Amino acid sequence: MKKISIYKPSTVDEAIQILSQHGTSAAVYAGGTDLLIRLKNRLEQAPTYLVDIKKIDHLRFIKEDPQGGVEIGAATKLAELADSRLLQEKYPMLVEAVNKISSPELRNASTLGGDLLQEVWCQYLRGGYSCWRNGGYLCYGAIGDNSYYHSAMGGRLCYAVYPGDAATALIPFDARAKLATPQGVKELSIEQLVPGDLLVDGRIQSHVVRFNEILTSVVIPPPKPGVRASFEKLRPRGVWDFAMASLAISLQLRDKTIDDARVVFGGIAGRPLRETAVETVLKGKILSTELGEQAMSMALANAAPLKYNATKIDMAKGLLASGLAKLNA
Amino acid sequence: MQAIEGILIEPVGCLAEFPPGPFQWYWNLLQSMGESSFSPSVEALEIEAVNAASIYADAVPALRELRAMGVHLSIASSLSEAAIARFLEKHCLGEFFAAVWNRDNAGGVRAVPLVRAVQCASLQPQNVMFLTDTAEGIKIARSAGVHPVLMMNDPDEARRLAMHNPAGGVVSLHEISDFIRLIAAQNSRGPR
Repeated sequence: MKKISIYKPSTVDEAIQILSQHGTSAAVYAGGTDLLIRLKNRLEQAPTYLVDIKKIDHLRFIKEDPQGGVEIGAATKLAELADSRLLQEKYPMLVEAVNKISSPELRNASTLGGDLLQEVWCQYLRGGYSCWRNGGYLCYGAIGDNSYYHSAMGGRLCYAVYPGDAATALIPFDARAKLATPQGVKELSIEQLVPGDLLVDGRIQSHVVRFNEILTSVVIPPPKPGVRASFEKLRPRGVWDFAMASLAISLQLRDKTIDDARVVFGGIAGRPLRETAVETVLKGKILSTELGEQAMSMALANAAPLKYNATKIDMAKGLLASGLAKLNA
Repeated sequence: MQAIEGILIEPVGCLAEFPPGPFQWYWNLLQSMGESSFSPSVEALEIEAVNAASIYADAVPALRELRAMGVHLSIASSLSEAAIARFLEKHCLGEFFAAVWNRDNAGGVRAVPLVRAVQCASLQPQNVMFLTDTAEGIKIARSAGVHPVLMMNDPDEARRLAMHNPAGGVVSLHEISDFIRLIAAQNSRGPR
């Protein structure tokens, strides 16, 4: 492992100053379940300066706001989300999703911010291949084994999937992320936070957070009346794997009529993929068994699977049918 | 990699899918022939292949974007002048290219059109990419001093060609603009 230096700032402002000083050679260090592995795997792109934010106050909390929504500090452990009565009461689908992230041991270390902003888990990147995200100019996943960690919905340079589950589960709640930046606080929707492969500070990354910005919290609006939601996830090993395909679905119901819908797929594209075509089909319909078939036929019309991962599309469509069936039960 | 100012493109496999049957036969012939031994029948075969070629859906939007970015675009091909002219005319691509180099006006095949294209555009080879989908293309780009970039049309073939150490590879032409922007951003950022 290369030599690294660790800073331990006590405030967000101090952390931003350090990040600004070192540019892209520095990175925020919280849970470490992604960052330390990149260092251990000797990736070219791994940082030299770690800015440990664990001792900064006000980054690790779950609190209800006066409007009835909930704000979660970015350094809050996933296990703390999973154990939160407040979240269980207000957003049970989020808790369901968090409980399906990784293993209990890793959830005790991983943070919400880390899950949202994690690097992709493409085996070629993690294996030290000189790919787009690791100092090179070629996607080995596009031409190699892409059955698991790669997009079935096209790509742009990098074809790895966005691996996080928290973002997929937060989008149906219209959650927003707060970033501390040198210019002040910036607020983004989760879709804006992780729009998929894009060029930021001379790097390909899945999120928009710049080298001198820190994700500080996620704000979830109050639950809407009549909402039923479900999180589905298919993975090779049920105990801890990343999603081959996942689905976060929420329906706002009046009796059996769907007034509003959110359908977000994970594990199949370079970003959490909101399927607005299906949402449009669902709105105004009566929730019924037949609706699953109709939704499946509309879903993922722009699929562009690679050589070995067309099955991800079938999996995602299957999850849509089972998710709707669950909400109809 | 230094900032990219120019792109040389081999139309075969980079702008269009050429029919594998007769064209593969022609390509094998090209490999075995001397540079001065092209007969009219070879040219007729090339034109037949050009007529049967189908342009990639992303070619025109990608070329338009690259032109808008101010990137110098040239055709650099071992095909004959007549075959290239027919190809550009058939697909209405002429407007995108600042220069068209072929074996007739370059005076040779393989690396010769590339070298002529770089020289005549007053570009430095290290600022130029050559798009290719063959091992031979990678080799001739290296010999001309430009960066060989692999068009990864077929994953299995691309995996084999990646062993020939191209400077980069793209799945689709529309990625080239991002490739160039990434290099520019990396150069402006400086070494880590």
